[in-house]
Parts: sequence; C-alpha cells; structure tokens
Amino acid sequence: MAIPVIMPKQGQTVESCIIAKWHKKKGDQVKAGDILFTYETDKATFDEEAKEDGILLEIFFEEGDDVPVLTNVCVIGREGDDVSEFDPRTQIGREDKVTKTTVADKVGVEGEGEAYAANVAANVAADAAIEAAADTAADAAKQQGIGTGGETGFIRSDTGDGKIGISPRARNLAEKAGIDYRYAKPTGPHGRIIERDIISLMEKGPVFTFAAKDESLKSETKIVEEGSGIGGRITTGDLGRVQSESQVAAHASYSPGVVPGEAEFTEVKLTNIRKVIAKAMHHSLSSTAQLTLNTTFDATEILEYRKKLKENKEKLGLRNITINDIVLFAVSRTLPGHKPLNAHFLDDRMLLFNVVHLGVAVDTERGLMVPTIFYANHKSLNEISAEVKELAEECQKGTINPDLLKGGTFTVTNLGMLDIESFTPVLNPPQTGILGVNNIVQRVKEVNGQYVYYPAMGLSLTFDHRAVDGAPAARFLKDLKTNLENFSILLAK
Amino acid sequence: MVYDLIVIGGGPAGYLGAERAGQAGLNTLLIEKRALGGVCLNEGCIPSKTLLYSAKMYDNARYSEKYGVVSENVKFNHDKVIERKNKVVRTLVAGIKAQLKKSNVTILEGTGEIAGRSSEGYEVRINNESFIGKRLLIATGSMPILPSIPGVKEGMEKGFVLTNREILDIKEVPGSLVIVGGGVIGLEMASYFNSAGSKVTIIEMLDHIAGNNEREISDILMKTYEKKGIVFKLSSKVVEVKEGMVLYEYNRERASVEADKILMSIGRKPVVDGYGLERIGVEIENGRIKVDERGRTNVPGVYAAGDVNGYSMLAHTAYREAEVCINNILGKKDVMRYNAIPYVIYTNPEVAGVGETEETARQKGIEVEVSKISMRYSGRYLAENEGGDGICKILIDKKYRRLVGLHMIGNYSSEIIYGTAAMIEMEMRVDDIKEIVFPHPTVSEIIREGIFYL
Repeated sequence: MAIPVIMPKQGQTVESCIIAKWHKKKGDQVKAGDILFTYETDKATFDEEAKEDGILLEIFFEEGDDVPVLTNVCVIGREGDDVSEFDPRTQIGREDKVTKTTVADKVGVEGEGEAYAANVAANVAADAAIEAAADTAADAAKQQGIGTGGETGFIRSDTGDGKIGISPRARNLAEKAGIDYRYAKPTGPHGRIIERDIISLMEKGPVFTFAAKDESLKSETKIVEEGSGIGGRITTGDLGRVQSESQVAAHASYSPGVVPGEAEFTEVKLTNIRKVIAKAMHHSLSSTAQLTLNTTFDATEILEYRKKLKENKEKLGLRNITINDIVLFAVSRTLPGHKPLNAHFLDDRMLLFNVVHLGVAVDTERGLMVPTIFYANHKSLNEISAEVKELAEECQKGTINPDLLKGGTFTVTNLGMLDIESFTPVLNPPQTGILGVNNIVQRVKEVNGQYVYYPAMGLSLTFDHRAVDGAPAARFLKDLKTNLENFSILLAK
Repeated sequence: MVYDLIVIGGGPAGYLGAERAGQAGLNTLLIEKRALGGVCLNEGCIPSKTLLYSAKMYDNARYSEKYGVVSENVKFNHDKVIERKNKVVRTLVAGIKAQLKKSNVTILEGTGEIAGRSSEGYEVRINNESFIGKRLLIATGSMPILPSIPGVKEGMEKGFVLTNREILDIKEVPGSLVIVGGGVIGLEMASYFNSAGSKVTIIEMLDHIAGNNEREISDILMKTYEKKGIVFKLSSKVVEVKEGMVLYEYNRERASVEADKILMSIGRKPVVDGYGLERIGVEIENGRIKVDERGRTNVPGVYAAGDVNGYSMLAHTAYREAEVCINNILGKKDVMRYNAIPYVIYTNPEVAGVGETEETARQKGIEVEVSKISMRYSGRYLAENEGGDGICKILIDKKYRRLVGLHMIGNYSSEIIYGTAAMIEMEMRVDDIKEIVFPHPTVSEIIREGIFYL
C-alpha cells in the first residue's frame, strides 16, 4: 500500500513551502528516518523525514517548486503500487488557493488584545508581501497591455521578490510541453503564472527552436526579447547573443596579476531567505522615517551581577545568563513605560501594546532571523535567558516554527560581540523601535576628583520618527540606561 | 505616376518581390529589360534542367541493360531537346506574367534607371518616361565573369567562346567542349554535353571541383564523371584561348587542349552599374550592394535582393530575400538567415546539401561530430542505382547535438534536401530527428539511418 508524503504545515500562517532540495531520487530505497527533502518557508528551512521504509515511487514536485501545505509531495510504497490517486496534479481545485487566516479565525482562540494585535501584525506582514507581488504583476501587466491584446516584447513573470510565482499545475504543463515558463504572462492571483498562461504561451509564443528550448530550460539564460529564427523563433544564437551582450569581458582592460580566462566572479543564486531579507530591509528603509540615537551606559553593575550569577549557576539552578539576556530583560521592563516604542505604526493609526513581544535578532548560516519572545515583560530573567537560547538554536538548525518569527512589538539586535561600538539598526516594520546593543569600551569618568575607568556599553536606538519624536525616544533610552546601571533596583521592582 | 514600390529587375527576386507586394496591396511597378524570369528561367536553372533531364533519359535508355531492359538504336536529338526546352521556358514565363497581372503589378519592358530623389521618394526613368517609387527594390541580378584572358573577347564575338546564355541555345552538339571553371554551371553543362556526345574537358584553377562543397562528395562526383569520359585538368590556369584550342598552365608547364567550343563558367558577379545607384548614394561594397539582414541598403526605403547583394547567388535565396524585403516594407519584421540554404548540383547522380561542411564548421569554430553512411543503406537507392556509390554525410554540433549540415550524392537528393533545411532552421537535435517517420522505401531514409549513428 503506497503512502503519500505531504508538505507539512509549519505554523498557522504558512500556506506553501518551497522544496529546496531533494535528498532522494525517484526509485530510491528509503528507510524511516531518512531525510527525503528539505523545504523552506519564507523564513526558515526544514527537513522532512520518511516515516516508513519503502521505495520512493513518485515525486510530484521538483526543487524550487512552491507547494501548498498539506499537498502530496511524493509517495513511498512497494514496487508496482499505483500512485496515480495521490498525484496532486490531477486533482482539481489545487490551483492557486491563497487562503489567508483572518482575524476572525483567531479571535476567541487566544486572549483578547494581544492576540488580535499579533494577528494583525502577522496579517499586515502577509498583506504587504502579497500586495507587493500583486503590484509588481499589475505593473508588468500594465506595461504589457495584458487583456488588451497589446503585443509588445516578451515578458518575464516575476512576483517582485525575484522569484517567479507559478502554480504546480502550470509548472507541470510547462514541463510537459517543454517550454520556458519564464516567458509566460502571469494572470493568476498575485502575479502568479497559472495554467491558462502556459496554454497561451504555447499558442502565441515566443517559440523556440528545439535546441534553444533545451538550452533555455537547462541554463538560466537571460530572457530574449526577439527571436531571429524561422517564424520568429528564438534560436541558440539568440540565447548566445544575449549572454555575450551581458559580458564585457572581451574588451575589459587587462591588468597585471589578473589571470586571463579566470572568472572574476561567481554568480550565486539567492536563497529564498536572502530574497526575503533583501525585500524586507529595502521596504523598511524606503517606507519609514528612521533615525538612530546613540548612547552609552556604565555596565559595572550588570557585569558584577552576571559574575555572581555565573558563580552560583549550579547552586541556584540558573541558566547561563548573558549580558544580552540582561539587556533583553531591562528592555522588556522599560518598554511598557514608553508605549509609542512598543507599538506598530500602521500609517493611519498605531497599535500601542500593553505587553512586550520582544524580537531578538539571530545570526544564522542561512541569514538573519528574528524569533520572538512573547510576553517578555511577564517572564523572569531566567525564563528569558532560556527561551532566547532555545529560539536561537532552532533558528540555527532551521527548525523554528515560522509563527515564532513574527508578532514582535520591539526588537533587540546585538553586535557587541563583534566589536561594534555603534551602528544604525534597521527597523522591523511595522515596529517603531529597534535597539542595537554594542560592545564595551573602557571610558574615563571623574569620581571624587579622581579619573576612574569604567566599562561603557553602547546602545543604538533606531526609531520611526513618524511614530515617535526624538525627545520621547531619547527618554526611553535614558530610562533604559538608568535601569541597566541600577539593575538590582530594577530586579526588585 | 507614383508607385508604392518600383522593382528594377524581373528575375526571381524581382518578380517574386513584385508579386508579393502586389498581393499585399502595394501599387507596384516591375521593370525588366530582357525577359521576365531573369537568368534563372531563361538562361539558367530551368533550361539547364530541361536539357539534363533529356540527357538522363538518354543515359537510362543507353545503359538500361543492367536493369534487364535491352534497348537498341537509341538516338539523341539535340534540336528536339532545345525545342522542348524553349517550350518549357515559354510556359513558365507566361505563367509568371499571368501571376504578376493577377497580383496587379504593372510590368514595363526596358532599362530602368534611377534619376534621383524626389519629394515623394525616388525617380526612376525608363524609355524617357519618369516614375516615382516611394520605395525601390533593386534586383538587377548578376552576370558571368569574363576573365581578361587573351582571346576571350574575340572568341565571344566570333561565337566559339560561350557563356551559360549562348550554350543553352547552341544549335549543334560540339565535337569537343572545354569548360573553364568546375563550379555548378560547368559541371551541369559537362554532364549534358558528355551524354550528348561531346568530348568534354573541365579546366579548374583549384585542386578540386564544385567550389566549397563537401570535399568527399565532390571527389565521388569527379570519379563518376571520369568514368563517363569527362577529363579534368585541376590546379590549372587558362592562359589563352584560340579558335579550336585552349592553352592552360599546369605546374608552370604549358599545355593545350582542343576545343570546338569553350564555355566560360568561372563565376558570376553582381550587376551594379548602369542603373543610377550612385545618384542616390546606394553603398556598393566589393562590387555588390551592401544590405543588412532585412534587405535594406544604406538608403532609406531602398532595398536589394537576389544575386545583386552577392550573398548566395541562388534563385531560391533570391526568393526568400525578396520576401524578407517585402515583409519589412509592409512593417512585418523579418530577417534573412543564410545558415540553412540548400544547394543542388543537378548532375547524374544529383548532389545536394545544406548547412555547414566540415571545412566551414572548422572555420567558424563549431565542434562537429560527423556521421558518414553509404547510400546503399537505402533499399530504394540500391534498387534504382546499379553500381551506385553515393554517400550521405551528417554533421551535428557537439554542444547542442543539433543538426548543422547534411550533404549527399545520389539521385533524389535534390528533392530530399529541403527537409533537412527545415531541420536546421528548427535547430532540431539528433533525438528530435530520430522521432521523425520517413517513408519506406525511399532514398530519404538515409537521413534517418545516418542519424542513428550519432
């Protein structure tokens, strides 16, 4: 009896995942526990293991395919088992379903205010992404005169994040017909290519010669604007021309030390995560009014405190509490007194949070991730410390639940361990503030007529001037500084 | 009178261009000074094919015994052959005239000369009348190159030196015929007159015949010719012609060969003088009108097609070039591609090919894999060609495994080759061609056979 393997649902808000890599081929013998494939959401990477022993009878999606969650991805079974019933490509109604979790779905499931807020936040983020994609498609459509029969050059479908959105059905048809779907004009929701676009591509072209078709599918050739072959077909010569036009190498000046013929760069395809980061960062900087305030505080007390904790770790049954944990704790306790910085700015209104969901920037091999410590203001230093380590580890492994990568109300990012004295952190919209934590430098201050050295730790607060003015932001920093310099008092509060 | 298009020259490029333009609704004027159909119809492709077919019939009859047919007293009537040739040409020329009329093309006989620009386009004068063309299509064709060898000019006047024009109307089969130049025209005429009974000698400057064709194939052709009694003088240069004799130099030694008639067929050159091209500044480069891939000259609205652009000098190339010009005039983007133009030598056996040869591929830096196969793999070839030793050569480029050239020697090649041209145009790969069903038993199956060796 063949068993289908489905695309797991990672978190409440994930609708589809991209297959990043197949570790097994069709026909391979697999054992329970073997990794079948690696898949990505827009923020994390996961491995899917086989649950059974058997033969990988069929693979329905290729690397790079965007597969809706709960869809059959492959089938494991015995030699000769029929797999056709599991083929999602033959099931009607799989075409481009974008279902969004609505606010109504969630309210009542969780506690009132903050659940609502977190949800809105999640939806806002999702909306923004979808709209951006739709906008791009709409622009493209406008340029192309879609629907008006306006025939200009060929178009490349692109959903705006550099990734081409295509439904599995459309992709399958394109593969079957052996055509380069990048030339299709997307008419599906959010600028995705759907089956009818492929059909129209087959009917109206551009058409390739046999060899060019293969070449175009095989390598990521640049899009050819106009074919010069028979009947306007795109030929291998056209593909070659586009490639060579994009290379200046032939006439580039030669300088000593350069080995001729040696590639001057390697082209690296962006991972999904990189694309998401790129888009998010650009969106952040281009859509808000960011500025950064820098200050330092005397870290003597927290360093002392940390030393004590370290010495009595086992005795008190505490985690390895770091300076960063201490800063997080202080931020979680300072923010409630500065609501505009613990907020979401939504253009015409603001959500001022009564709780602190603290985003913590984590550097991973795959790229930057920001998991959230929900209700940080209600958690003890030890709890925060434990949770951060757990979240960071999951991010490193790529097993983090995507739902934990959103919903923050304020973010802390720490580059202190990399010897940064001050920087300008980039906001995580719609949040209104992000705190950069820097390294410790020895500074001098006057105490009773004597110059004494003290450890000065830097703080860089970026805030959205649309939401908060300079003085209130500075006041938050000042309060935070006071809390950190008098940490024992804060703990007593 | 203002025309949308004036076409100068009524050969394949001119008449077809005019026809297509007329069909598309352009008010078109076609000017031809001699006979509609140009060299191709009147002094080239068509008459020579008529002659060659008669020669083939004669040979089939004479050598039918190996096929179990005994024929006696087989006679060859050259007059009848020429008569029939004239009838074929007349029929076709009449057909073209009718086509042009049907396409609403105005035809004028005479020499059209460009007088200059006018506010509405270009002025063309013919028989002291003036016409304005908003656009021009220059299709003045080509003419035989007559080398400045002592005796040639006098020989032309006296009538013992001939070009393709005169030889196709020759009253009697000459006892001995010397052909200067072993290209397509020379080889076809050699084939006819050899069958008709002349003693034929071909003098060629290069060390091989049939120009740039696939060497192996021209070698086979030469051997076949030699078996029939045609004599080749390769790497030889004609230095003088006299009545009844041709003097040539081989290896710095002079030699002579007797000749009742001498055919000059060393090549052709575009006709660019005498039509006033210079008055509007049409750019001439190396004696040909310079055009781009859409058939446009450097002068806006002035196009050129056919032999006059010096690219390929074949009637079928001219047809397509004319269509490209007209399409661009009509605002349809169309470009001329020269990578899949077939060639045919209508000798017996026929030679045909398209695309790269091993030599040209090497020059262009295309790495090729070659499959060579005897035509005897084809059942039909074997049945119909007793003792035939034809071959078919297939060239694919290693990078894409697509077909880039195919050359064959054997009858029916001429009718098979266009399919190969289509495959090259479509950049079909070996695996694609393997899926094509060829009729059985045919000579064309040799392609399928050869492809499976790659």
